[in-house]
Amino acid sequence: MTDNPNNNGNGYHRFHIVAERAPDVEKWPSRFNVRVRRSGLAKLIIKELLHYGPRNKDVILSRPCLYGVFSGPVGGFMPRDQHCVGCLRCTTEFPDFVRVSHNPERRKLGDSFFDFRVVDSVTYEAESGLIPVKGAGYRGKFGGEGWDGMWTDMSEIVRPTRDGIHGREFISTVVDIGARPNFLMFDEEGRSVGRTPHVFQIPLPLLFDVLPKSAASERTWRITARAATELGTLAVIPIGAVLQYNLESDHVAPLVRPGEKDALPVLEKAPRLIEMDGWEEGLYRAIHTAFPESLVALRIPFTSGQELLKFARKGIRVFHLTADYHGRDPKGAFVLDLIRRAHKAFVEAGIRQEVTLLGSGGIIHAEHVPKAILCGLDAVALDTAALVALQARFHGECRDRETSRFSLPRKLTLAWGAQRLVNLAASWRDQLLEIMGAMGLREVRRLRGEMGRAMFMEDLEREAFAGVNGYEPGR
Amino acid sequence: MSLADKSVFELIVEKHTANLHAGFRRWSEEMGAPPPALGDYRWTDDLILSTWYQAAHGHPPQDRLEYRVGRSGGGFDVLDFNFLPESQWLPENTEIDLSLPLNRRGDHLEKISIPLPIYGGGMSYGSVSEQVMLSRARNAAHWGTFTSTGEGGYPRSLTEYKDNVITQVATGMFGVREETIQNARIVEFKYAQGAKPGLGGHLLGDKATQTVSEIRESVPWVSLFSPFPFHSVYSVEDHRKHVDWIKQTNPRALVSVKVSTPTDVDMVAVGSYFAGAHIVHLDGSYGGTGAAPEIAKKNIAMPIEFAIPRVHRYLLSEEIRDRVTVMASGGIRTAWDIAKVIALGADGAVIGTSELVAMGCTRCSNCERGRGCPFGLTTTDPLLSQFVQPDWGAERLNNLYTSYATQLKDILRRLGLRSIAELRGRPDLLKYVG
Ligand code: SF4
Ligand code: SF4
Repeated sequence: MTDNPNNNGNGYHRFHIVAERAPDVEKWPSRFNVRVRRSGLAKLIIKELLHYGPRNKDVILSRPCLYGVFSGPVGGFMPRDQHCVGCLRCTTEFPDFVRVSHNPERRKLGDSFFDFRVVDSVTYEAESGLIPVKGAGYRGKFGGEGWDGMWTDMSEIVRPTRDGIHGREFISTVVDIGARPNFLMFDEEGRSVGRTPHVFQIPLPLLFDVLPKSAASERTWRITARAATELGTLAVIPIGAVLQYNLESDHVAPLVRPGEKDALPVLEKAPRLIEMDGWEEGLYRAIHTAFPESLVALRIPFTSGQELLKFARKGIRVFHLTADYHGRDPKGAFVLDLIRRAHKAFVEAGIRQEVTLLGSGGIIHAEHVPKAILCGLDAVALDTAALVALQARFHGECRDRETSRFSLPRKLTLAWGAQRLVNLAASWRDQLLEIMGAMGLREVRRLRGEMGRAMFMEDLEREAFAGVNGYEPGR
Repeated sequence: MSLADKSVFELIVEKHTANLHAGFRRWSEEMGAPPPALGDYRWTDDLILSTWYQAAHGHPPQDRLEYRVGRSGGGFDVLDFNFLPESQWLPENTEIDLSLPLNRRGDHLEKISIPLPIYGGGMSYGSVSEQVMLSRARNAAHWGTFTSTGEGGYPRSLTEYKDNVITQVATGMFGVREETIQNARIVEFKYAQGAKPGLGGHLLGDKATQTVSEIRESVPWVSLFSPFPFHSVYSVEDHRKHVDWIKQTNPRALVSVKVSTPTDVDMVAVGSYFAGAHIVHLDGSYGGTGAAPEIAKKNIAMPIEFAIPRVHRYLLSEEIRDRVTVMASGGIRTAWDIAKVIALGADGAVIGTSELVAMGCTRCSNCERGRGCPFGLTTTDPLLSQFVQPDWGAERLNNLYTSYATQLKDILRRLGLRSIAELRGRPDLLKYVG
């Protein structure tokens, strides 16, 4: 393996993620409840028997459902809710005795931020590795706060072509992690002097973030490590677990907390990236001394631009900025704005090209990845989305990274879990390609911070509704 | 014909069709509450049921159902009209002109005018049934307006209605032939579609039946992804060449250019005009589709409510606003949405989903699944497609258009306007209720 994810050592190879179906291991509540009043159905059968006669059995047995809900051994007397896709044909045909309703149990999946609709999408993506495709137009709210108030641009006429993006043309999703000087310097003999780039590449802008305590186990660490290896990306895993379960690899970034300095020398090999959980001068120096060739990422909650620049001055070039699982900082600001603020701080300081910004928290849907990158991240470290891919259940509101409680299926195996994460990444990458293809961008590095290609509800509404009575911008 | 003379197939079709027709009526008129799982933020249960009602009666429901707005919390749903006090309304018998000229270029081509500011948007053969296409074409012919083929070719049965059918030329060029271009009074270039901007059409393999693929000149049961963009168009100049090609093939036809709503939608509109378009058709991001990646529906390109004012103002500033007709589509659900989008700056609206809803769509999003729409709309399944017979479908659409026309006139009357043209670009007649 070389540092270039498109070069496997034998020359160019095209990055491709192998998705394989990995069906749910835990049976989740059906999306709909189908209730049939038995007396009504019995009456209908008698009526149809009398009308059509027994010779026309096929007419009598022709039921409205195309999806097998009434195709069990006793037909409509015991509907098989789990097959229902909510088309409502049955209830349209038989208003008097068939009722189809949303299953409240299904709607309890996830929490108020990671709501059941997102759970549905992520589950489908993790199961199939495919892009969710549906008929009919958009069904949701018009816009809203955060990610929902943002649209991406498209172009009517530019390349890459859409038929090409999954085929003969290529959109690169490779991102650089590390430090890159703004410019190179050479001496009179043409030798490079001064700082040189210190980067490695990952083939897609997705990493796996450290799991919360309630979901952490040998099995889950192995799952994220294996998925990261298969994808050629990174999983962030506490150094204790890395050592305990022998997980060292090019695709694991050990997370070192203050006080864990002594664990460093136990690592057998220099990791490509080490995450330092919060700033501690001594720890930073210890990491540098132990592994001068490793990149050090500072993991900190999103903070002011000034703070970030302060750490940049201390030498940090990779930042892993975190919001809570609902995408908020302690003051309630949303991750979209937090990313923009961080990105802008580095742009204004003239060093955005020198640093790498990773982000986590509140990025739970495929569409959030391109949006987060447009706002200024280089890559996203997946947190709750990865857990949902593994069919984790939320216990109450899961907001706080330390205390949130998730439970994972009992039948969780390494192979299944890793495949689900690989599938999720495959689906999300393909969706990223759709967005970039529509924008006419050929590489994700050019998407970063490309704010001119983003549209925000506030701005659009202010422009469009100027002149409408009673409209006050920002109200 | 007695029961004994009918085939099982016929009896099955008859049974379900009768049940469905009764169901549309009962749910929209008699049942106390809507079906519990019906509707979403954009198309609420009330909007769906009131569209069923209008399709049956030709006027909006009198009470109970909210037929004007949805609950999406933005766009059309936070706009209302700033009506005059009742004493200043125009009398009920005032003549109100809803007509819309489609050729304002001042060239020698036909001065087509439609009697109401609405026509039907492209829905391709394959994504919808032939019966649905025929229903739409008959209604368009009845009203003297248009419907569009979409990009799936031109079933022979449509030829009878060719004066009211727009031939669409889209990136896949499916079924586009010289004769179908020559048939048309209007040829529409589809550069992009609002529901999947930048992505091209998408017909899943299950719906690419033998007949569909014959018309599309493709391989049966193989999914069809229209390329994006037009591979021969990478500039306004290339687009101009495209238009010239159509003009060579059919020198009589007006040209419509259907585009989506990127950040520079204003430039796109102006470019389209200078390349020869008579109609610039803007398709906003919340429009309908037979199948599209979910990520595209919500996130790519801007909603039509935001695109129209931008384009309208830019065309005004370029002093060409009155030389081009701007049609809006993509999430226009009701007569009120039509009036609002005109007040925001469009000349008229192109509708699609509301026509499907009038013919029984529940907006369940299963169009692409298996045999296609269980209500016989977005399907080419031989049995299911029989549920929508063209006479019945055309009648439903005629009633819907009648209801829309009545409501539009009523809105204008209450604003003190005598023509739909006077409403264009009048945001001051709207009020924000968000
Ligand atoms: S709603 Fe549709 S899918 Fe569900 S049971 Fe009824 S007919 Fe079947
Ligand atoms: S499948 Fe559902 S959404 Fe699609 S046309 Fe039929 S009823 Fe409407």
